[in-house]
Amino acid sequence: MSAAITIKNLSYKYADENIISIDQYEFEDGKSHVLVGPNGSGKTTLLNIMSLLSRPDRGEIALLGEVVNDDNRLSLRKRIGYVQQRPYLFNMTVFDNIAIGLKLRKINKQLRKARTDNIIEQLNIANLRYKRGHELSGGEMQKVALARTLILEPEILMLDEPFTYLDKRFASELENLLCNIRENRSQTVIFSTHDHLRAHLLGDHVCSLINSRLIDESSVNLFHGKYLPDKSVFDTGKIQINIGEREGDINIIAVEPEEIVLSNQSLDSSMRNRFQGYVTGLASHEDRVDVSINAAETFQVMISKNALEELEIDVGSKVWMSFKSSSVKILN
Amino acid sequence: MDYFSQAFISAFKLILTLDKELYFVVWTSLKISLASVSLTSILCLPLGILFSLNRFPGKKSLQNILNTLMALPTVVVGLLLFGILGRQGPLGELGLLYTQIAMIIGQCLLIFPIVLNLVIAGANTADPRIASTSIVMGANNFQKNIIFIKEVRFAMMAAIVAAFGRAIGEVGVAMMLGGNIEGYTRTMTTAIALETSKGEFEFALALGILLLLVAYIVNVLLERFNRLNV
Repeated sequence: MSAAITIKNLSYKYADENIISIDQYEFEDGKSHVLVGPNGSGKTTLLNIMSLLSRPDRGEIALLGEVVNDDNRLSLRKRIGYVQQRPYLFNMTVFDNIAIGLKLRKINKQLRKARTDNIIEQLNIANLRYKRGHELSGGEMQKVALARTLILEPEILMLDEPFTYLDKRFASELENLLCNIRENRSQTVIFSTHDHLRAHLLGDHVCSLINSRLIDESSVNLFHGKYLPDKSVFDTGKIQINIGEREGDINIIAVEPEEIVLSNQSLDSSMRNRFQGYVTGLASHEDRVDVSINAAETFQVMISKNALEELEIDVGSKVWMSFKSSSVKILN
Repeated sequence: MDYFSQAFISAFKLILTLDKELYFVVWTSLKISLASVSLTSILCLPLGILFSLNRFPGKKSLQNILNTLMALPTVVVGLLLFGILGRQGPLGELGLLYTQIAMIIGQCLLIFPIVLNLVIAGANTADPRIASTSIVMGANNFQKNIIFIKEVRFAMMAAIVAAFGRAIGEVGVAMMLGGNIEGYTRTMTTAIALETSKGEFEFALALGILLLLVAYIVNVLLERFNRLNV
C-alpha cells in the first residue's frame, strides 16, 4: 500500500487548546476516505493543513511520497485540489473562475477554453457560464468551486463538507461523481462530513476526528460519557452500556453498526446489551438498509434487505437491539 | 442670486473662450494632481496590502498615526517642505522651491496617509477567503497579491479618487511650494485664491465651477477604467 498522505506527530493548537494531535496516520492512495466528526471537532483545520493551506505548529506531512517543506510546498499544492466549505468565487464570470487554476499554471488560452467548456458541460452548469460569482446561490457556488478544482485533475481531491449547501438533485449528482472517482481509482479523495450514513455509502474508509485525534473508525454510534468500573458499564447519561471489565479512564466508546442485532422481541442470548427503541429512519442502499433507532440515545444499525423484510419494521415500529459487550470499541 | 448666475455665466464663458492661459492653469492642476496621485498610489497600494495582511509589533500605533495624519492641514505640509526646500533648508541647493516638482512632492506627502489608510481599510474589510482561495488554486505569492488587488479594486479606486479630490482641491501646498507663478506653477486653486484677493469673486467662483467640472470628468474616466479592468 502506498500512502497519498502520511502524517507524523502533527499538532495544531488554537488559543492554547489542542485542535489536532495526531501521532501517525496514513491515507491510502487511490481510495475514498471520509473524515467524520461533530461540528467543531477540527475537520476543517485538518483539511486545511493537509491541503497545505495552513501550517501545523509541529509535525510532518508527506504528500504523494514527498515530505512537505518550503521548497516543494507550492509544487505539491498544485497537485492537490481542495474545495472549501464556503467557497469564495472571485469577482469575475463563472467561466473565468473555473479557468483561473489553469491560468495560474500558465496553460495556453485555447486549451484553457477547451477544458473549461468540457467541465462546464460535464457538471451541467452552462446556464451559469456568464454569471458573476456573487450572483450565484450557495449550491451553485459549490458546483463552480467543484468545477474549478476538478478541472485541475488533482491527484488528491479534498472536499470540506461538500454536501452542506447542495440541493437534493445536485447532492446525488455529487454522490455519483464521487462514486465514479472511487470506482475508477483515479484519484485519492478525502472529504469531511457529519453525515455518517453518507460516509459509509461513499467512503472506502471512514475515520473520525475525536478529541483532536484521528481514529480509524466511523463515529456512528459514538457515545460520550464515563465508565463505571464497579458495574462494568459505560454511562452516557441517558443509557448504560455494558462494556465488560476494562481498564483506565474511558470517555468515548463506539458500537459498530454491523454488530447490532435487531429483533421484534427481546432476545434470550448471551449478549449483555439489550435496548428497546423505535425506528426513526430507514435509508435503503443497493445491498443494505441503514436503520436509525431511538433508544434514549440514537443508534445506527446496518442490516440486509432480507433482514428488513423478515422483521417487517417501518418508521415508528418498536424494535429490540442487542449487542455484545465485547463488540463495544473503546476510543478514548 | 445675481452673484451665482453671473458666476455660472462667467464659468461657461471661460470654458468656451478657450483662453490659452486658463487652459494652461487647468492643465497644470491636472498634471500635478495626477502625478502625485499616481506616485502615491504606486507606493501605497502594495504597502497598504502588506500592512493589512501582515502582523507586526507597533501596527496599531502606526495605524493611529496614519489616522491622525489624515487631518494634516495643507499649509502645514507647505510650511514643512518650505523649510526643507527653501534656500536655507537642508535640500535648498536642489533649487526645487517654486517648481512643479516641489508641488508634486508636497501633494504626495499630503495624500500619502489618505491613500494608505483607505487601502488598508479596503484590504482589512476584504473577504479573508480571497487569499486562501488563491493559495488553494495554486497561486504563488506574486499571483496571490495580484488576485487580491483585483478583488479589492473598488476599494483601491475609492482611495485613488479621494486622493485625487484632495490633491486637485488643495491650495496650501500649491501656494507655498509653487508660488502661484503665472504660466508655470499657477493652478486652479491658487488662481481662485488670487482672484478672490483681487475682489473678482465671480471669476473666482467660475474657476471653482471649472475645477469641479474637471474633477468630475477625471472621476468618470477613472470609473470607466476600473470597469474596463473587471
